[in-house]
Amino acid sequence: MISAIVGRLVQAFLLLLVMSLIGFIGIHSVGNPVFNLVNSETATVQDIRNATIALGLDQPLWQQYFLFIGNVLTGNFGVSYIYHLPAFALVMSKLPATLELAIVAMSVAAPSGILLGLLAGRRKDQPVDRAVLRASVVALSIPSFWLSMMLILIGAILTGWFPSGGRGSTVSFLGADWSFLTLDGLGKLVLPATALALPNIALIARLTRSGTIEVETQDFTRFCQAKGLSPRRILFRHTLPNISVPIVTIIGMQFGGMLAFAVVVETIFNWPGVGKLLIDSIQLLDRPVVMATLTFISIAFVCLNAIVDLFYVVLDPRTRRVG
Amino acid sequence: MKTVTLRILGKRPGGVRINLHLLMLATYILLAVMASVIAPQNPYDPLQILAWEASSPPNTASGGGYTYLLGTDGLGRDIFSTILYGLRISLFVAFTSTALAAFIGVTAGVTAAYCAGWVDALIMRIVDLQLSLPTILVALIAIVTLGPGIDRIILALVIVQWATYARVTRGVAMSEAAKSYLDAARLLRLSTPRIILRHLLPNSIAPAITLIPIELGHAVALEATLSFLGLGVPIDKPSLGSAVANGFQYLLTGQYWISLFPGLALFGLIVSINFVGEDMRRRLDPGSR
Repeated sequence: MISAIVGRLVQAFLLLLVMSLIGFIGIHSVGNPVFNLVNSETATVQDIRNATIALGLDQPLWQQYFLFIGNVLTGNFGVSYIYHLPAFALVMSKLPATLELAIVAMSVAAPSGILLGLLAGRRKDQPVDRAVLRASVVALSIPSFWLSMMLILIGAILTGWFPSGGRGSTVSFLGADWSFLTLDGLGKLVLPATALALPNIALIARLTRSGTIEVETQDFTRFCQAKGLSPRRILFRHTLPNISVPIVTIIGMQFGGMLAFAVVVETIFNWPGVGKLLIDSIQLLDRPVVMATLTFISIAFVCLNAIVDLFYVVLDPRTRRVG
Repeated sequence: MKTVTLRILGKRPGGVRINLHLLMLATYILLAVMASVIAPQNPYDPLQILAWEASSPPNTASGGGYTYLLGTDGLGRDIFSTILYGLRISLFVAFTSTALAAFIGVTAGVTAAYCAGWVDALIMRIVDLQLSLPTILVALIAIVTLGPGIDRIILALVIVQWATYARVTRGVAMSEAAKSYLDAARLLRLSTPRIILRHLLPNSIAPAITLIPIELGHAVALEATLSFLGLGVPIDKPSLGSAVANGFQYLLTGQYWISLFPGLALFGLIVSINFVGEDMRRRLDPGSR
């Protein structure tokens, strides 16, 4: 089990390396960042040459790549062309905002999705089940950017209940700034967290439903019923643990997905996180930050998958057997 | 292949429902095809746009002799016409990329299953890595690498989608490859590409076909998302996603119609595609009911 996970991690990192090479060549064929730095109307040829040399863009491409890989291995992605800060530190400084959004969204989505799924699975083909299924298709069909905009329209503009964007005041805790600890911050979290949570509620509910239906037809459930256990006890003590592996998988995967999908939600809600940084940097051709962000999200995702795999061992005693 | 079509159109219980969803989708496609006939204004033609009628609310009479049913956007483009033309671009991008991705993915999956060994390992490792990353991330990496433009976004969507087809097809093709008709084909000394494309592929294609509507819905949503982020189709020829994006800044000042209606159209399109896909999956795979 462990060696399989390590093997997969090694393979994944080798592939990431190949991808970084392709990405590196690609990003260098798209636009010249120098023109975003100098004033294109007043800059002289000399200014442009100086800027190019200062960024190291006058070196051959392969040399730039090896320099980049060498630096990445030491955690150095270069200095942002726009903010003049180390790119990796910049990404890290935006991370608490994104993490906080994803954690709040997931801690809403996971319990409600599981509950809805158990409910629908228990009452298969009854109105509740059909309503949950239909609602989940609809929820999964709403493009997240439009959902976010409609949340702003309804929750902020028409009713004025919540602010339409931005992050609230923060409190320092465990070495980072968090906004969910203040009332102002919590209010500003509601809409973006809802936008991130809704599709995940649907996804988790669907998965839980099909798992529940599958487990409820098995002999041990029948046995529990014969023993006279209450339906609620069977559902939470016997069915739920047996479907926990796929649920944990999807929660882990979707948590990583939230870090990536935050790109959309953060852009709309003007949330100062990693996703907004990425989109801004792509548009400003701020290569070091783009590379740092994409690499960081990819590696975080690969590691998250490995952690989920490890979690199986905790959840499912059968995977602990050697064989 | 033939049985698949017959079973979809067959008049079994529930046949009316699939037709309703199909009807909705067909209407969308018809509207997109007929866009230039139905739309009162060509939103790509600056001569037809009356700039002083920008940001008119829905149901305003236009100086051009027609009514802005759904209002106009900040540049004076009729929203209804923008939706029809945007629908055309969204559907074109989605259909093209899905068709290409299905073809490439199925071919790759069949090739992996037939060749086994290092070819299989190589293809499937790429597939594994890609499927383990969220689609939006893969799409962003592809767009950053490829640059902007409508052909690039199609390519990016193909890169995102082919892996799903490859994985699903490989599974079927593996069991199919062990069957004796392929031994027969080899004994006839048919060339490997011919065996793969003419014999193995048609017999392993069924699960990939059930994937098509689902992936089509994803493609529409992903293109819209990328266009919304300003990384998709060019802004002068907006798809539904960029039409919604155009209205975002006006939303905060209460001019809701600029992004509400294109968004509703987009939402309806994705819902109808997803329901068609759901119906199709249920019919072809009774076990999942």
